[in-house]
Amino acid sequence: MSELLEMRDIVRCFGALRANDGIDLDVRAGQIVGLLGENGSGKSTLMKVLFGMLPPDSGKIVLRGRELSGHRPRDAIAAGVAMIHQHFMLVDAMTVLENVMLGWPAAGRMLRRAEMADRIRQTSRRFGLDLDPFARVGDLPLGRKQRVEILKAILREANLLILDEPTSNLAPTEVADLLKILRSLRAEGKGIIFISHKLPEVLELCDEVVVLRDGRVTGRTPAAGASRTRLAEMMVGRDVTTPHAPLPRTPGQVRLAVREVIVPGFSALSFDVHGGEILGVAGVDGNGQLELVETLTGLRRAESGAIMLDGVDVTRAPVAARVRAGMAYMPADRSSTALVRNMSVAENLMLRDSDRSPYVRGALLARQPLIAKARELMMEYDIRASGPGALVARLSGGNQQKIVVARELDRAPAVLVAHQAAWGLDPGATRFVLDRVIALRDAGAAVLYISSELEEVLTISDRIAVMADGKFAGLVSRAEADRRQIGLWMSGRAA
Amino acid sequence: MSEPTSSLPIAVPQQARRRGFRLQRGDRLVVRILLAVVLSMLCAGALIVISGHDPIAAFIALGTGALGSPHQFGAALNRTTPYLLAGGGVAMCFRAGIINIGAEGQIAVGGMGTAAVALAWPSDLSVVATVVALLGGAAVGAVWAGLATAIHLGRRVHEVLATLLLNFVALLLVQQVLAGPLGEFGAGFLQSPLLPRATWLPRIPQFSAHIGFLVAIVAAGALSFTLWRTRFGFALRVAGNSRPAATYAGFSLPLLTWSVMLLAGALAGLAGGIEVLGLHRRLIEGFSLGFGFKAVTVALLGALEPLAIVPAALFVGLLEAGSLSMQRQIGVPSALVVVIEGMTMLFVLAATVRRL
Amino acid sequence: MTDFLAAAIRIATPLMLAALGGILSECAGVFAVGLEGMMLAGAFAAIIGAWLSGSDLIGVLFSMLGGAAIALAVAIVAVRYRADHMVTGLTANILALGLTSYLLRVAGGGRPIAIHLTPLDAWPIPGLADLPVLGPLLFMQPPLTYLALLGCVVLAIFLTRTQAGLTLRATGENPEAVFASGAEPLRVRMLAVLACGAIAGLGGAVLSLQQVGTFTDGMTGGRGYLVLAALIVGRWNPWGAAAACLVFGAAEAFELRLQSFGVPVGSYIVQMAPYLIALAVLAGLGRSSKLPAAIGRPIQTD
Repeated sequence: MSELLEMRDIVRCFGALRANDGIDLDVRAGQIVGLLGENGSGKSTLMKVLFGMLPPDSGKIVLRGRELSGHRPRDAIAAGVAMIHQHFMLVDAMTVLENVMLGWPAAGRMLRRAEMADRIRQTSRRFGLDLDPFARVGDLPLGRKQRVEILKAILREANLLILDEPTSNLAPTEVADLLKILRSLRAEGKGIIFISHKLPEVLELCDEVVVLRDGRVTGRTPAAGASRTRLAEMMVGRDVTTPHAPLPRTPGQVRLAVREVIVPGFSALSFDVHGGEILGVAGVDGNGQLELVETLTGLRRAESGAIMLDGVDVTRAPVAARVRAGMAYMPADRSSTALVRNMSVAENLMLRDSDRSPYVRGALLARQPLIAKARELMMEYDIRASGPGALVARLSGGNQQKIVVARELDRAPAVLVAHQAAWGLDPGATRFVLDRVIALRDAGAAVLYISSELEEVLTISDRIAVMADGKFAGLVSRAEADRRQIGLWMSGRAA
Repeated sequence: MSEPTSSLPIAVPQQARRRGFRLQRGDRLVVRILLAVVLSMLCAGALIVISGHDPIAAFIALGTGALGSPHQFGAALNRTTPYLLAGGGVAMCFRAGIINIGAEGQIAVGGMGTAAVALAWPSDLSVVATVVALLGGAAVGAVWAGLATAIHLGRRVHEVLATLLLNFVALLLVQQVLAGPLGEFGAGFLQSPLLPRATWLPRIPQFSAHIGFLVAIVAAGALSFTLWRTRFGFALRVAGNSRPAATYAGFSLPLLTWSVMLLAGALAGLAGGIEVLGLHRRLIEGFSLGFGFKAVTVALLGALEPLAIVPAALFVGLLEAGSLSMQRQIGVPSALVVVIEGMTMLFVLAATVRRL
Repeated sequence: MTDFLAAAIRIATPLMLAALGGILSECAGVFAVGLEGMMLAGAFAAIIGAWLSGSDLIGVLFSMLGGAAIALAVAIVAVRYRADHMVTGLTANILALGLTSYLLRVAGGGRPIAIHLTPLDAWPIPGLADLPVLGPLLFMQPPLTYLALLGCVVLAIFLTRTQAGLTLRATGENPEAVFASGAEPLRVRMLAVLACGAIAGLGGAVLSLQQVGTFTDGMTGGRGYLVLAALIVGRWNPWGAAAACLVFGAAEAFELRLQSFGVPVGSYIVQMAPYLIALAVLAGLGRSSKLPAAIGRPIQTD
């Protein structure tokens, strides 16, 4: 087995942050290497360096005996590297055929459509990809879209495939299908780098596991016989603390009642959330979670049904009214919905409350009270920034989310709707967010916590629902939760 | 279905100058804009050389033409006024992420409205007549902007196209009205009869500038105050940064759009009325040509900050006032000034791009 | 009637050429607001080129250079420096207006230089020109009109059947995907804008060289903006845009007919026809869902 890839001492900094701090990585032909690490550990940066999307500050990359340096994706592709990105690099408005032909010289200057379509069909059959060349990519489910990227890699005869968090948007059956495809690719002699933060999958699939933390390699071991706890420690550090599971409580009154609300694009949904409980909603992203959340919080019009908050009908109420009625919302889209990146910390803290004191006096904004209150919140919620006037875009992801948490929780809301609240955050920030959510629940609020990370949902919820196809495929209490059953519910919409 | 999130055309300081908030971004921006001006002047110099004239002499003629005497400076202030008013309104729209380029048409119909009211109003009271006529012009300008807004919001037509196409319709409308009910018979070209003396804008003694400039300065101050110190201004700024965030914050995007467009239309209409009552004393064909697009230029040169638009508008006003002198004395075609304006804008755009 | 249609085609020719250029630009993701300035620069360059060299062909080539020059400014500021497309286009139009007026007067020593060339004659295609209806309509037109019609065919083939066209369209939909596929989206956009300028410049040549034989200040008169509407109406498709341009051309031809018949509708109201029709069609369509997904969005490839 020959050495396919050698990366030596890769360093890449973003300002003061050393995203890659001297990393070595080797991959052989016919080998799957798992690159394991939490968010912020440097995995994606390393792969962008390898693929030529980012230049390294220093270090060497040797692919099949030839050095790659100063290269762009075009050169990496020519050298036989293919990348299947976490956020697919596909053109939704075009067909599978057109996406495959894009940037591929073998398709010809004058595109040879019929020939390429045949090749797609053949390769798709051979590897079990089940792709129709003339299907519009935008219409495909996420699992199939991913296969288009894999198809591109195979057709371009890549020797080294890099998959960046490939299972984050897949249902369990789709994950199983993907692993099967990857194994057959390994059998063909391809080298694969499998990047993930999900320990079980990495152990199931990979031959060797490399663990990254804070930009450095903290462990390297064959997957066979590796200890899960050791690996988890290497990923997260010595203090592998999970957030305290909430103490059981008897739930109080129903604070959020949802009756026959039609989730746009799906069907009607009904459920209750009680005060003092966290209703966790697990499920693969794209099954109506965003539509549901936006309908509940007023960003979308409810076409029918009723939403009652503490007995008050808010179905037709505008966003501002729902905020005043006690509904807090932490959106999944941090960068352009939950926060205004180009404005200051203080202005973001005031974002949804600019019509009440202490932020306004009449129609005029009150500057001094704003700054004072902002300082207060920054202390209480440990928001690290140079001052209330700091631009939010300059803050780390964790601190940005702390602003959202501070703003929504300081209002002492009756109901909190949290959508992907800990997405993309490093373990410390994740812990912070979850602790605050639990504290809110302990204070008697009703929490609807939606996340595609099953572990998170299982850790903090009192009751767990699984959302698939716009419906609750199942709803159980924490005590009754069974992973296998939940996995089956999540696959309700398998590709 | 996703609307592209709106973004400001150029990077602007997101905070007003105040103690405790950092200043650096604003300062660097000013330096960049000044550099852009200097660069375009250098290019203009090169163009003057091509035409076979001496650039130094030309620039001196430009300068003295604008600043040479109080009378000439007054003429420059007159030129500045419509740019300041219309530019302020456009800047507020851009701050909210709405690209309104209908100032040209709004100024034209505003002037038409003012002339119509002035001719029909049988009052001897000078102040009343003037104020009512100006208000009439502002109202018509607002209506015209409202028309574009209705098309934009009601039928989902891009606001650039709606405001742009309505410009041409407005100009033709004014021409038609001048050929008809508001026209002066036997004049030879399209113009209205001379407006009643009572409606004429008073002049500032010595300067021969009409008081419209003072009105414009006050308006700029009011706009800046609104933008930074009121909740409405905050809502505009949030909307201009990110539409989803504005909805999330509880602001109504349609309401914001209507408000800021009507405001801009009223300001442009007012500018048109001031031109008619202060400068020409009658409605003449084509009196508003070029003002609308240049108002966009002025708004951007001022980095969308109403107070900074004052020097930006002055810059353009002085340039244009001096250009006729330059043409008369040195022989450099006055169209050079338009070239300077265009080049300055392009350099400013390149130099002030937002960091993503 | 045939006369009327033939006139409509003639009037629509500059619009069609500008539309072809605009499609290239917008399909690559750059709003083509600068079409007005590119046409104007092309119109000016065509007259100067033809006058200096004595050859109409040189004039036509010059028009492409003139349009491309304005396009270069847009390409650098909007694509390379990532400024807002709409505002850059507007500014380029102002620049073109000033520059053409200025150079016109520099060439004439202070007054606009008086150049009067013979407008281009129709080139009847032997044989086909004698066909009953289609003959005078399609085969007895001046050369640049043939070029416009041919251009529709060429552009359609380019966009749908070539690798370069595919890359261009993909850049307008998802430039990051283009980068990940190994191409350079920045370069694609800049080339698209330059090509847009060259072709729009040809449109300007139609106005000055083919139709009247001279150049006057601002002679494009807002046509470049009408073409923007035509692009949306025609859904960024060469044939659709050409059809939309034809409708606008017909509106103007109709308006000219009305004037010559002395119809008592105010002549200025009648001149509004093309703009009102454009607005009405846009309003009727609502927001087109086929807008290239990444249009107006600066490219972030780091």
